[in-house]
This record gives sequence, C-alpha cells and structure tokens, in this order.
Amino acid sequence: MTQLIWNGLFVGSFYALVALGYSMVYGIIKLLNFAHGDLYMLGAFVGFAILGAVGGVSPSMALPLLLVVLLATMVVTGLAGVALERIAYRPLRRAPRLSLLITAVGASFALEYGMRAVAGADPQVYPVRLGGTSMEFLGARLTLQQLVLMGVAVVLMIALNLLVTRTREGRAMRAIALDPRTSALMGINVNSVISRTFFVGSALAGAAGVMAGAYYGKIDFMMGFLIGLKAFTAAVIGGIGNIPGTMLGGLLLGLLESFGTYWLGGEWRDVFAFGVLILFLTVRPTGLLGERVTERV
Amino acid sequence: MRAIPLKSFASLAALGLLVTGCGQGLLGGGDSGDQAAKQDGPIVLGMLIPQSGSEAAIGPYMSNAAQLAVDEINAKGGVLGRQLQLKTADDACDAQSAAAGANKLVTEGVNVSVGGYCSGATLPTLPIFAKANIPMIIPAANSQELVDQKLKNVFLINGTGSQQATTAEKWITKQGAKSVALMHDNTSYSKDIAVRTQALLDPPGGADAVITEAVTPKESDYSANITNVLDKKPDFVYWTGYFQEGGLIARQLRQAGYKGSIMVGDGSVSPKLMEIAGAEAAEGVYATMTQTPDTLEGAEGWIEAYKKKYNAEPGPYSNQAYDAVRLAAEAITKAGGTDGAKVVSALEAIDGFSMFSGPLKFTPEHTLASGGFQILVVKGDKFILQDALK
Repeated sequence: MTQLIWNGLFVGSFYALVALGYSMVYGIIKLLNFAHGDLYMLGAFVGFAILGAVGGVSPSMALPLLLVVLLATMVVTGLAGVALERIAYRPLRRAPRLSLLITAVGASFALEYGMRAVAGADPQVYPVRLGGTSMEFLGARLTLQQLVLMGVAVVLMIALNLLVTRTREGRAMRAIALDPRTSALMGINVNSVISRTFFVGSALAGAAGVMAGAYYGKIDFMMGFLIGLKAFTAAVIGGIGNIPGTMLGGLLLGLLESFGTYWLGGEWRDVFAFGVLILFLTVRPTGLLGERVTERV
Repeated sequence: MRAIPLKSFASLAALGLLVTGCGQGLLGGGDSGDQAAKQDGPIVLGMLIPQSGSEAAIGPYMSNAAQLAVDEINAKGGVLGRQLQLKTADDACDAQSAAAGANKLVTEGVNVSVGGYCSGATLPTLPIFAKANIPMIIPAANSQELVDQKLKNVFLINGTGSQQATTAEKWITKQGAKSVALMHDNTSYSKDIAVRTQALLDPPGGADAVITEAVTPKESDYSANITNVLDKKPDFVYWTGYFQEGGLIARQLRQAGYKGSIMVGDGSVSPKLMEIAGAEAAEGVYATMTQTPDTLEGAEGWIEAYKKKYNAEPGPYSNQAYDAVRLAAEAITKAGGTDGAKVVSALEAIDGFSMFSGPLKFTPEHTLASGGFQILVVKGDKFILQDALK
C-alpha cells in the first residue's frame, strides 16, 4: 500500500511540474497550449545535448552536474517557450480561440518532427543515470535519487508559488488574467508579462524533461505527447489556472493511476486517467480548487 | 487529429483501384508495346515500413538493409538482366496510413512487396496487394491474423507468435521456473505471444502463469505495473513487447529488487535495450529470437557491409528485410518474370533457400516450416546465443 502511494506521488510530481505551465498559460491567455508537452521533450533533449558536450563524468559528480544542466536547460526551454508564443500565438491573440488551439496542435507536431529531423527517430539514452540502491521506508522501496528529484520539484513549485503570490511580476500576471485590457490601461506591459509567463512555464517543463531523462534514461521525440495530455488532465482535476490546485491535481493523478493500475490492471491505466478527465470536465469543470475563478493564473 | 487524410485517402484508394485495374489489363493483354517497354525497365520492390509515428525508429533498419540487398544484387547484374529498384512508403504503424501507402506503391507499379512491420498496419494492406496481384514477402509482421486471411500472395518469413510462445514455454520449463509473470503492451503482436505462452503454461505441473500484466506503451514509469507483478512473487518475467518499454521494464524490475529471470520477445532484441536498461539491469536477460546476424556464423561480413554503408549498426529486422529482398529476387528469377501468379508459385516451390534464419521452406499456409526460434542472452553489450533448443 505504501509502495502504491509512493509510486503515485513520484510520478505525480512530474505531472505536476509539467501541468503548471499548462495551467499558467491557460490562466493568463485562456490558451490550451498543446505544445507544452513537447517543451518537456525539448528539455530532455537539450539536457542530453549539454551532457553529451560535457563528456565523461565520474558518478560522484553526477548529481551536482545534473543540477547545473537542469538550470541551463530551464533557460533554453524557457526561451523556446517565449519564441513559441511570439511566433505561433501572439499573431493570433485576437483570433477566435479555435485558431489558437489549432496552431497549438501544429506547433506540437512541428516540435516533435523537428526534433526527429535533428536527433533521429531512435530513442536516445542519457549518459548520466540516476539509479542508486533502494532503501525501505515504511514498507515502500525508494531511492535517494527519487527523493532528490521530488525535492527539486517541490522547491521549483514553491518558488513559482512565491513568484505569483508575492512579487510585482506575479501581481501583473494575476491582473492580466483578470482583465488584460484594463491591465494595459493601468500601465502593465501585457506582452512582456505574457512572454515571461511562457518563460516560467516552459522552464518548469524543461526541468521535468531533464529529470525524467536522468531518472528513466530513455528519451525520444514523442515522449511529450502523452505526458502533455496527462498534464492537461492533472490541471483540470486540480483546477486549471489555479497553481496550488494544479500541483494537487498532478499528485492526485499520479495516485489515481497507481491505484487504478493496482485495482483494474495495467491496461486500464490510461482509461482510468482520461476517464477521470471526462468526469471532471462534465461534473466539475473548474476542478477541485477552482472555485476562486478571480485568482486565475 | 488526422481528419484530413480521410478524404484524400478515399480518393487515393479510388485512384489506386483504377490504376491497378488498368495495370492488370495491360499485363493480361499479351505482348503489347507498353509491356515490352516495361520489361526493360527496373523491377520495382515496394516496402511499407513505419517512417513516422510511434515505431518510426524501426523503419530505417529495414529499408537500409533492403537497399543493401538491392545494391548487392544490382552490382552482380540485377535480376533477369534488369536492375532492382526499392520504393518505400510510410505506414506509420497505423491501418489508415498503411492502406494509403499500399495504394501509393501499387500505383507506382511495384512488382513485389517486401515490407510489413506492424501486424495491425500490415493487415489492411493484404487485400490491396492481393487485388493488384502483387506477391507479398512480409519480413517482420507475424500475427496469426495475417495467416488467417488465407491469401495466396502472402508469405511470412518471420516465425509466428505461436512458434515463439512454444519456444518460450520450453525455455521457462527447462529453467525450472515455478511462477511466471507475463507482461505485454496490448498490441496484437505482443498480446498474441503472451496469451499463447500463458495457454501453454496453464496445465498443472511445471511452471504456472501467476499474472498477465498489460502495460501502456510510450510511458516512462512502469512502477505501478511492476508493483502488481512483484506482488505475485514470480521467479520468471516474460515481456513480449518492444525494446523501448522492455529496457525500462528490465531496469525498473531490478530497481524494485526483483532477483529472478527476465526474458523478452523478438521485438525487444536490439542493442538499444541494453542502453535503456543499463548494463547492470540488462545482464543475463534472455530473449526468444529467430537467428540474427550476431548469432550466425559467417554474418560478420554482412554486419561490416551494413556498417560501412550506413555508418550505423543493423537493428531489429534488418536481416529479415535483407532476406526478403533476396528472396524476392530469387523468386522472380525462378519465375522468369514478374507475373504475380508465377512468382507466387516460385515462392511456394522454394526449398532450402539460405536465409539468416536457416534454410527456407514454406508451409502450406505460407509461414516458415521451421520456426528457428532460439534463446539469446545478454552478455555485456551483446545478445549472444544461449540455447538453440534443438
């Protein structure tokens, strides 16, 4: 039982990290950024490229090195997110929402098959792996590396929450989410705040990508597709646009999958996850913590 | 997401039918001028393989090896004095794309089809090639469903799922395993082997199939599945899917403290499996596999030739694709031309043609008479022969 909970929380923290970007972008410009999962994929490949350029490392240095790579990758994917918004979404900001959605799907394919053209269709394997021996904790088997990864995820999420609730930047984001036109009249540079929102969300997805690459080892150009959908599900469960809600949604989705697999069998994992998505969309589209619609970001 | 191809697919299919109708008319029309011109041109081999989508990684392994065979045959003067030409089309491992791709190949006038990797995608192409009177030599796809169509033009040069399951059961019993966990990915290829192996293990005495666990492909984390499997305390785990997941599963099984044997099916036999799993987790993993260049004496030269030409290692089904082209060339030579019915008869008559998987002879249902499955084991960074189970 504790093993199931631990499995669920670990997978869920990845979902939560990726889901945050989804949620922030939706909160601020009401766009479902379907290319978001592919920024996660991009992060995994950028991290792979940096590690490849660094060359051989001794295993003792693996963890600190990975943290440096993580930060560098976050900058790169953050900038990629900004570029994506500038090229694909900003010209369409006044267009009907459906056009934006279609552009997002197009951007997703462009990123996937662009990466395939660059890196090839074969799965790649990270040169630095976080494996480690496992230890028993309350009847569950976990590794130090899992704890570190979850720690990094938690730190990133806390930092994000502070950014949104405690800084001028965060206040501007919340203001735009509420009413972009009035915000502009009040002297907020709407475009640059939206750019920075994309930067932060994409950087988090990139971080999740590097962490997944280092932990699971295998990366490929399609890896963002499924996790993008899962992150969307997590955001909907928790309340899309709501940051604590999205984190909660990620963890809950991880737990749901873990227990769903246990009760119903592995082939039901995705049926279960997306069934919950449909359930929430019909019964409670605002998600668990979504009632305070005025605080969307 | 793929709404657009629907319409274009329909029109393409119509076009395909139209053109193949014409094609047959021409072929049946005796020695017209057109046909004489055709006989001087190259003999075209068509190959449907996944070049995009989830299985895109496999495509190049097969088309590269096929091209290698084509080049070698052409360098020796071709077939019946004509050059061979390889045309590939993308099936994206998906039924709709595969049907469109097959129609494209038919309109391009292929003489023999030497492709087919995903069983689910290959299935809808069978009637298209059959209607156009084009013989198919399927190098990789091996679901029983392909055979059950009972089409005269379809030949499988990969062992079938039931042959593989028989081999798996033999090895599991020989190893003295008591409780076996079967894991598959719900694709028709993988589930077929798992279900057949389970059926063979079911009778009392010997090994018991304690759990059959299906996983969702394309995920990274299988810890939930693995917790399920380890709950049943198996001493043998058999994964029948592809290497992308196989590597992750082997690694995550070991990380979860599993000490028993792990075995994988032929879809997982790739050097990438060891990379993904990591050397430690991959060491000692068994595999049910037909003969490969690695386990075959005298194949070093072939691997060298492949490496020299493509600057990469051959991968899964490279050797079957290579054999498919050579077999097509042989059958056309024996038939004295590219007429579909004659090539089919020539294929049926083949006995002892040397392939990587051993001397070839077809059963009446056009599968390999001898399956040739054997047990490989991972030693270091290689799959080597463990037991031929003769």
